[in-house]
Amino acid sequence: MLLFLFMRKTILAFFILCFNIASAQELFVFTEPASNMAARSIGIRMNTMFMKNVHMDRNEVFVIPEIMWGVSRNIMIHADVFFNNDDKNFKAKGASLYLKYRFLSKDDIHNHFRLAAFGRYSKNNGFIHDGSIDMYKTNTGYEGGLIATKLINRVAISASSSYVHAFDNGKYSLGDDFRNAVNYSLSLGTLLFPKEYTSYDQPNLNFMIEMLGQNTLGNNKQYFLDLAPSLQLILKSRMRIDVGYRFQVIDKIYRAMPKTVLVRFEYNLFNVY
Amino acid sequence: MKRIFSIVIFLAFLNVANAQIKSANLQASGLTCSMCSRAIFKAIKTLEFVDKVEANIKNSSFDITFKPGTKIDLDMIKNKVEGAGFFVAAFSAKINFDGQLIKNDGHTTIDKNVFHFLNVKDQSLTGEHTIKILDKGFVTAKEYKKNSKYTSMECYKTGVAGACCAKHGLAKGTRIFHVTI
Repeated sequence: MLLFLFMRKTILAFFILCFNIASAQELFVFTEPASNMAARSIGIRMNTMFMKNVHMDRNEVFVIPEIMWGVSRNIMIHADVFFNNDDKNFKAKGASLYLKYRFLSKDDIHNHFRLAAFGRYSKNNGFIHDGSIDMYKTNTGYEGGLIATKLINRVAISASSSYVHAFDNGKYSLGDDFRNAVNYSLSLGTLLFPKEYTSYDQPNLNFMIEMLGQNTLGNNKQYFLDLAPSLQLILKSRMRIDVGYRFQVIDKIYRAMPKTVLVRFEYNLFNVY
Repeated sequence: MKRIFSIVIFLAFLNVANAQIKSANLQASGLTCSMCSRAIFKAIKTLEFVDKVEANIKNSSFDITFKPGTKIDLDMIKNKVEGAGFFVAAFSAKINFDGQLIKNDGHTTIDKNVFHFLNVKDQSLTGEHTIKILDKGFVTAKEYKKNSKYTSMECYKTGVAGACCAKHGLAKGTRIFHVTI
């Protein structure tokens, strides 16, 4: 109950903040918006996630180097490799390929509505931590879904929903009741600084809050819901530093790693070819 | 020497007789962040005929100066904005006119580009004037619809010369920019 009240207050405070500040952002930290990166551009990311494995009582680190490519104005691709120390040896455990297709754009001055479809294929030989499925860290399988992003003057809101199907991770098998799930997310973002843009060299500071959930589709019908506030610093209009904290609000899957601290560095190269 | 002199005179005459597109200003839609603005800025800068780009991040607008004597392709600028993931909401170009006669709902060729003037009085233009492009992709969808009342010619819909333009001696398929002052 207390937690619920806290959440309500946080969300209310966030909305008040959004409507009072100059502009909004949609470069979300834990999800992707329906917008794509610029065509002919390349982005390089280094993601590091720090987690505590409560089942094993040990700390885990995921390091995910990622390359992003704006193929055309409507298509972008991400390729990433997952490094992890889950078996005490820090090494590459898997990789994934992500594709996003923006199929609708309704733009106006300082606002837009966009729809995109996305898909991800992941291969992972790492240890299966629990019954939750995560194609961006721990599982082998595929995911496909839709994203809708709306920018209304000062607030960016994005929602997504996807279907996930997981296979076994090599020698590590997954219970059949946990193979299929639905993911959903709701993200809100706003610009804290600067109040007014004057140059590309001005640092930007963004605040985001995201809700991330998963419902398994097996006989057991389990689910979790996480909340993830984050801060994002953009330097020289091309470099991004994200720091986010993701924590569970509801967990019926009994996950091994209910909390995550994410640190991301991103560098964008425009018009590479 | 006499020959060089006459070439110089001839070139000078050409220069005077031709109206030139000097610069353009565009406003992009759908963005609020400086990283998005930078993506557009960088994309426009790659165009060979572009000399200088100045961005106003707050208004998402860009002042573009062209290299004199180059073939200016206004569609390429629009494509660059769209390639960066955004759209053009307003596009105007500064032109140095040299006595060109413009007619309402008629075609005029300026700097190798064909312009179809809408909602203007028939007049002869001299000196610097700003024209606003009204074609699909150069204005918001709402404005494009609103301006359709100024012409019944099909080239407004297609952006290229059709049967409607044959009377003005334009070959079918010629790119036509619909503009106003």
